[in-house]
Amino acid sequence: MIEVRDLQKAYHDEGGSTNALRGVNFSIDKGEFVSIMGPSGSGKSTLLHILSFLDRPTGGSYRFQGRGIDEMSDLELAHVRNKDMGFVFQAFNLLSRLTVYENVEIPLLYADGAPAQRRARIEEAVRSVGLEEKIHMEAGKLSGGQKQRVAIARALVTDPNVIFADEPTGNLDSQSGLQVMEILDALHKKGRTIILVTHETQTAEFANRIIRIKDGLVESDAPVAAKHMHNAPLK
Amino acid sequence: MLFRDAFKTSTRSLAHGKMRSVLTMLGIVIGIASVIILMSIGQSAQDLILNQVQGIGSNLIFIIPGGSGSGRFSAPAAAQGIVITSLVERDADAFRREPSVSAAVPEVRGQAEAVYGNNDVKVTYDGTTEQYFGVRNLPVGRGYTFTKNDVDSGAHVAVIGPGLATTLFGNLDPIGKSIRLDQVTFRVTGVLEKGGTGAFGIDQDNLVLVPLVVAQRELLGITYFSDIVVEANPAYDISFVESRITFLLRRNHSITDPNKDDFTIRTQQDALAILGNITSILTIFLAAIASISLIVGGIGIMNIMLVAVTERTREIGLRKAVGATNRDILEQFLIESVLLTFVGGMIGIALGALIVALIYFVLSTFFSIGWVFAFPLTAVILALIVSGIAGIAFGIYPARQAARKNPIEALRYE
Repeated sequence: MIEVRDLQKAYHDEGGSTNALRGVNFSIDKGEFVSIMGPSGSGKSTLLHILSFLDRPTGGSYRFQGRGIDEMSDLELAHVRNKDMGFVFQAFNLLSRLTVYENVEIPLLYADGAPAQRRARIEEAVRSVGLEEKIHMEAGKLSGGQKQRVAIARALVTDPNVIFADEPTGNLDSQSGLQVMEILDALHKKGRTIILVTHETQTAEFANRIIRIKDGLVESDAPVAAKHMHNAPLK
Repeated sequence: MLFRDAFKTSTRSLAHGKMRSVLTMLGIVIGIASVIILMSIGQSAQDLILNQVQGIGSNLIFIIPGGSGSGRFSAPAAAQGIVITSLVERDADAFRREPSVSAAVPEVRGQAEAVYGNNDVKVTYDGTTEQYFGVRNLPVGRGYTFTKNDVDSGAHVAVIGPGLATTLFGNLDPIGKSIRLDQVTFRVTGVLEKGGTGAFGIDQDNLVLVPLVVAQRELLGITYFSDIVVEANPAYDISFVESRITFLLRRNHSITDPNKDDFTIRTQQDALAILGNITSILTIFLAAIASISLIVGGIGIMNIMLVAVTERTREIGLRKAVGATNRDILEQFLIESVLLTFVGGMIGIALGALIVALIYFVLSTFFSIGWVFAFPLTAVILALIVSGIAGIAFGIYPARQAARKNPIEALRYE
């Protein structure tokens, strides 16, 4: 599903150029739950941006569901982001004045398909994160954990193949963080591909595979041996 | 993105900043309202002026001595202060014999000191014939006009305007009393009806009318006319009458080259056309001034939209991340700015209409001016189009700024 070969990303500015990624190789199959780890400045965020089509590489190749990013126009990238990818951010990025319902609706506004079918999909997505009772509440009035669950519902509503989660527990207390990770874990168990970026080992270990990035290269890429430590505190 | 969704998204975000939206709109409201008000006032003033001119009588032809060059609207020599002596009794006689002319009234004009007792005042007098009153539509309110006999015999009689009557005589009845104009004594036979200042700036209120020959011989010492007013026979087409007059004058004055005409003929239509032109230009000029406030309002919208784009950077980043294209974002912000200007425009039209109605009410009720209520539909349509265009013109730059944002940086924006 995801195939990365010799992926490079260089940033140019007045001071010269920085190589954020210097030749990254891996592939991720459908249904995997992968954590990408690394210290800050390792290039993991750059990698996530490229994997999620928000940015383009400056070298190497990236194929998503068989298609190379180089062959696709910006418009096609936007279309794939909308249809096949879901996003969960550290800072939630909800529109606080809109209701839960309206926030979850946003990706559907940019999708094809009849508006009539939206309601059922939105309600289904909100139910799957357990917030059906707050569906008409303003998003700004929710707690942090609830906000992140709304964000997950928003990522789910288009029924994407992959969910990208960028430090989804970073702004949450351990209790809420655990809840969010359990929801992601459950989604994985239902067959969804999840790619998680984190710097917390315990969060990373929810995945069944951890790719460690350092200085723009893959440092290690290994399955998680003893999976699931649900009962242990996260921090 | 469906337009319905884009529209809903835009109205939601405008509704969230109600106060800001209203204040932003205010610039457009004022701009559109002033355009509407000024265009409507211009229209009303035009109607008022044209009605007054038409009140003189639509079948009048004015013959002024001196050519006016080739331009239809260029000033005749007489109007430029040049004394021309070419228009004489022979011409007036020729007009009177012409079947397509029902009356020809020569006029001479001068200024003199009018004296009664210890009162004196500077006046304009017209020496003319008894037909003047009918042709010019200036009825006498008290007393009588002078007669054909008075004119033919050179009687020293005068008809005066109502304002002058009050100035000279106060509460006394002027009929039968004698006034002096430059040492020549005239007996007042009548006072004109109150009419105010008529068209062409003739102050009817302070006018003195005396028999033609008396004014020519005793006041001015001339034998020619200042002008001749011809009333066309209603059975004839006015342009035909005009051509007959031209023919008669060229024959009388032995003119063979039409470019060397020593007279100028002005009809009501000419006067209306000139006045219509002047007032139209004035209206356009007023609207142009008002549209400056529209531009100011538009810049206000641009300013607020730029602020909104910056404030909503993260929202833009998120929308792009979940699949919004540049076009989707551009549309959303453009719809917002067009909505602001369009709604502002509609409120402006309503406000303008209200103020125009108020002006009409005040002028007609308290000043008894024959003000015409005019609310030109063209102004309304123009206002709506202009406000819509303003929304696009002033919204496109902020919307492009929004659409061009890089989603990664936008999502990181604090």
